[in-house]
Amino acid sequence: MQKKHVGILLVMPALVFTLACFLLPVLALLLEAFQIDGGAWGLQRFVAFFGDPLNRQVFLRTLRIAVLVTLSAVLLGYPAAQAAAKVAPRYRGLMLGMMILPLMVSPIARTYAWIVLLGRNGAVNSALQALGLSDEPQRLLFSELAVYVGLLQLLLPLMLMSLVGALENLPRDVTHAAATLGANAWQTFCKVTLPLTQEGLIVGGTLVFTGCVTAYVTPALLGGPKVLMLETLLYQKVSVESDFGSANVIAVILVVMTLMVNAGLKRISSSRSKV
Amino acid sequence: MKEGLFSRCMLWLVLLFLLGPFAIVFMAGFSGGETLAFPPPSYSLRWIFEVLAADEFRRAFLTSLQIGLVATAVALLLGTPVAYALSRTRMPAMAAIKQVLTSPLIIPGMIVGLGLMRYVVLQIHAPVFAGLLIGHIALLIPYAVRVVYASLVNLRVDIEDAAVMLGASRLRSFFMVVLPNIRGAVIAAFFLAFVTSFNQVPVSLFLTGPGISTLPIEMLGHMENTFDPSIAALSTLLVLFTMAFVLVTERVLGISKYM
Repeated sequence: MQKKHVGILLVMPALVFTLACFLLPVLALLLEAFQIDGGAWGLQRFVAFFGDPLNRQVFLRTLRIAVLVTLSAVLLGYPAAQAAAKVAPRYRGLMLGMMILPLMVSPIARTYAWIVLLGRNGAVNSALQALGLSDEPQRLLFSELAVYVGLLQLLLPLMLMSLVGALENLPRDVTHAAATLGANAWQTFCKVTLPLTQEGLIVGGTLVFTGCVTAYVTPALLGGPKVLMLETLLYQKVSVESDFGSANVIAVILVVMTLMVNAGLKRISSSRSKV
Repeated sequence: MKEGLFSRCMLWLVLLFLLGPFAIVFMAGFSGGETLAFPPPSYSLRWIFEVLAADEFRRAFLTSLQIGLVATAVALLLGTPVAYALSRTRMPAMAAIKQVLTSPLIIPGMIVGLGLMRYVVLQIHAPVFAGLLIGHIALLIPYAVRVVYASLVNLRVDIEDAAVMLGASRLRSFFMVVLPNIRGAVIAAFFLAFVTSFNQVPVSLFLTGPGISTLPIEMLGHMENTFDPSIAALSTLLVLFTMAFVLVTERVLGISKYM
């Protein structure tokens, strides 16, 4: 009985802080999106936002890039994680260190490499011209491809970490058992390894997808004002156009997207643990 | 073992893709040229010195350091009791409490920054620095809770009960028995939270103004105006520091298990 009160007392400072200083301003901002001039409530702002073809284009581009990066992270990350999970224990720390290093480095330093590589006088253009494949510098920076590559490098470590974790928890005997029972490598992978690491795949996928949707630095530096994504559009609406109405609408879209993906993740993992 | 060879090749490719770009940044950072070009025309420490001497970067670095240290300390002070309560007591509405406390991980940072700017700084007229600090503290609390909680769950309750039975108060037993045992996790949480704050861009973006800028925001601003190798030099320094930092923390604390 007394323990209950102690628990609440211990939680209270952090809870009050988060509610008052964090959730309240965010909720106020989100609610404003549903307010029309004069104080009435309605969805007019959303209709206006999606009525603009430019906004629709940015919305669809954000989804497209996020899906492509997530799929690429799975395709690249899964085999790499399989090899990483088998690394000898004495190199394990080094391997994990190399994987988490990009996560700890400033996102600007990480993105900057691509500016050096893809810029007008960058490495790729120098190589193209040296090889005689192109006479003048190609426009590689400020393209969807640049944003895609940058985001993939930024977020791949998240996929790797959750897959390595899932693969290391996989009991070694099960793949041997499948092989003994006559399954070939492909069958073992599809029927044993993949289902048992599904959770790591879903967690990694969620992290990468939401990471793409909410990334700012990468699309800002590699996409520029021509290849906008939702976050860079939000920043532009506020700081360039002072259009707070559209900014609120984008905020709602971003929050709904991340909440939906997270709720989906929770449902999948809870329905799996019930089985 | 053909399949093993394929996945090992993929691992090397992925590591090259993840780490190779840093080599490029290094080369550009040690450039002796006037503008950003690759490969650089010559190599020197010129831009490294220039960046270290630049007033705006030094000021922004100090702001980032201040915000990072204060926000991390406050987040740990607020978060450690929560981790203790979650691991040792049963509370009503536990799920809802967890939901509220982890919400800063889910809500995109830029929206947090915009909300704090408009309602805390512009409406209540709080100083920009306070808004920036609040945003960072809220963001770091979940990290503090998660790391400390993970180590409290693995700590046996018996040793605490023993201390209490021997006459120590609950508070005393926390400081004398529990805290020394979770010291590693608290230090790991400190490092993790500090790095998160130091590299933070979206939360800070709207919460900087005249005179107050964090290092990443200052770098972004600089890149809009000039195209010299100074950001490459600064990035080189940041990457080198982070490398040393990751190596040490992974060796000493095994920080990857908390991520």
